[in-house]
Amino acid sequence: MKTTGTYKLHILLFLLPGLILFIGILIAPIVMSVYYSLFDFHQIDGSDRVFKGIENYVTLFSRTLTNPVTGNVYENTKFLGDALVNALLLALLSTFIQLPIALLIALRLGKGIKGERAYLSVFFMPVLISTVIIGRLWMNIYDPGDAGILNAGLRALGIDQWLFPKISEGITSSTLKFKGQWTGFKETALIAAFIPILWQYVGYHALLMYAGVKGVPTDLLEAASLDGCTEGQVNRLIIIPYIKPILRVCVVFAVTGSLKSFDLVYALMKDTTKAELPSTLMYKLLYLHNDYGMGSTIAVILIVLCFAFALLISLIFRSRGEKVA
Amino acid sequence: MKKLVALVVAAIMLLSLTSVFAEAPKTITMWCIATESDANRPAYEAAIAEIEAQYNVKIEWEAFENQSYKTKIKAAMADASTLPDIFFTWAGAFCGDFAKAGNVYCLEDAYKAYADALPAVMLQNASYDVDGNGAKPYAVPLTMNIVTLFANMDLLKQAGWDAVPTTYDDLIACCDDLVAAGIIPFGCSGSETWCVTEYLEPIIEKTIGYEKLNKIFAGTESWDDADIATAVDTFQYMINKGYFDPDGLSLGNDQVKANFIAGKYAFYQNGSWNCGEVNDAEGNFQVALFPVMNAEKATYGQVIGGPSDSLAVAATAEDPAFVADVAFALGKAICHYGYLAGSGLPAWTPDYDTSAVKPLVAAVADIVANSEGMVLFGDTAMSADPANIYLDYVSKVYGCAIDGAGFVAGLTEALPVAE
Repeated sequence: MKTTGTYKLHILLFLLPGLILFIGILIAPIVMSVYYSLFDFHQIDGSDRVFKGIENYVTLFSRTLTNPVTGNVYENTKFLGDALVNALLLALLSTFIQLPIALLIALRLGKGIKGERAYLSVFFMPVLISTVIIGRLWMNIYDPGDAGILNAGLRALGIDQWLFPKISEGITSSTLKFKGQWTGFKETALIAAFIPILWQYVGYHALLMYAGVKGVPTDLLEAASLDGCTEGQVNRLIIIPYIKPILRVCVVFAVTGSLKSFDLVYALMKDTTKAELPSTLMYKLLYLHNDYGMGSTIAVILIVLCFAFALLISLIFRSRGEKVA
Repeated sequence: MKKLVALVVAAIMLLSLTSVFAEAPKTITMWCIATESDANRPAYEAAIAEIEAQYNVKIEWEAFENQSYKTKIKAAMADASTLPDIFFTWAGAFCGDFAKAGNVYCLEDAYKAYADALPAVMLQNASYDVDGNGAKPYAVPLTMNIVTLFANMDLLKQAGWDAVPTTYDDLIACCDDLVAAGIIPFGCSGSETWCVTEYLEPIIEKTIGYEKLNKIFAGTESWDDADIATAVDTFQYMINKGYFDPDGLSLGNDQVKANFIAGKYAFYQNGSWNCGEVNDAEGNFQVALFPVMNAEKATYGQVIGGPSDSLAVAATAEDPAFVADVAFALGKAICHYGYLAGSGLPAWTPDYDTSAVKPLVAAVADIVANSEGMVLFGDTAMSADPANIYLDYVSKVYGCAIDGAGFVAGLTEALPVAE
């Protein structure tokens, strides 16, 4: 009888193409990024590369730097801390606002209502639209003048009279007054970016959850109904636990997506400093500053964070006896 | 008869042989940023057609969007074999990095044939001392541009002003009159930081003088200057007085420009490449410069700008001397058509009829001809890392997140003088 050991060479040969692709496309770039993150260089061919060890990591997490000659302290414009806080805030908002909305839509549509497919298409449509177009669309919505539907609506209802001064009171990053410039201040820009992200991806998560809700065996639902369960109890005790693996995937997507978020913020605000995210800062350092060492350092931090959060979420969602994927 | 037929056949064969041995056009590859929507596109198309016929070459060119082009050309520099023969570049530190890496062909010899048509001063921004033997030119300038103060004379008239103010006190008085008349004096995009530099740099220049600002951008003098702090504070004073449209904080430059052309603002300070568009718009527009802030150190004729848009030849080009000659001829032709179209000022001395040049373009050309000093745009003059640190601070200035003292203190430490 031939054992697995007999076929070792065959197995290796068959695995080799996939292994080469996996190493070449995923592992090698990560290893290269880690390597580059240990250097300071501004020429793309690396001709001016200077080994810095973990100095890039320290610099990214330092709010201020010290001029080595004068000893004076100054603000570090490459500080990653604020961008990370913004990304985590986005992840929190995605998890606790976007996903519950998606779940409510999925539960409602999954029960079978008139025009179920049409509603699903409407909710999913923003996912199909290019993010750049969505950015442009929301730029128009946020337009501070009368062309912007948001401010025009607020003015028409008279809400701007008390809302704008209240927002102005909360603005500490500038001495200017808020007059409907939603993407113009640090305090409002992140929220202004989050709303289109919520709008764009709520349908995506709703579709995933809807597929899960539709997969719940009808006999379970009928049994619960016969036992006198209310709709809320059915949702809480049967459907939600049943679609837990899908919820886990949605949370992983929402959190890692928030950490990597780039395109919509960039399309909405050309100067991303007011809603800086790790990816926008990485882009700036790599392609505007030509600071390839620092850019690679942010890439490594993002990879580590995404893996760590994916693992953490899997642990949180782990059922008893289930292994972490 | 047979002899005649034989003669005709022989003649036909000879002709066909001539065509076989006629020199096939050489192919030259080129990258640029003259995309379909770019104001310079028609100038490129006309110039390329002219040069192809003149030099018997086929120019295979590709145009890329400005920002993505910066990434593409930098990536191509890592593997010089992927570079086209001719590529668009900005003068200053942008091209300097490529030249110092040995990827750009030196144009010192090729320039000699064009010295009469292209003043040497126009090559200064793209001249670098690569080998320690003095600065040599590495790029052919196309058009040049300066920061221009565009004024809507109809709106100024409504506020009681018949001319663009030329002194700071008059400008402030004019702005007060405009505000009193319900007109917003200035529009500036806050979501594109380079637009803020179009205001801040002239104010700094008109406070400390062009020579000092040139040295600061070159990294040979410190930012530590109380006058710079005063200039920044003056800019913020104007913002806080309501002279700038508050909506501008979250508007893009296209929207701000559209607002100005539509008559929402009295002034719009931006690059002279807008001249053609403003000239063609309905209304009565004039061009001027930002007034002097400190007459002891600066004069009205000092400008921000200069020749920056350029063509360079890759060191890897097959016949670099020939390609360099084509690049010069092409640069001259693009300048010619661009100037006539109003998409830039001539870096080359015009040797053609300029009576068709648009009035606003001609007015700016006149300002340049009488300029008393030039400082290249800060983000072009400085290399990428310091330029973007500088822009980060400029962004904070427009948002009033830091004052003049904070701006000076931060940049003094973040961008120390080169040793």
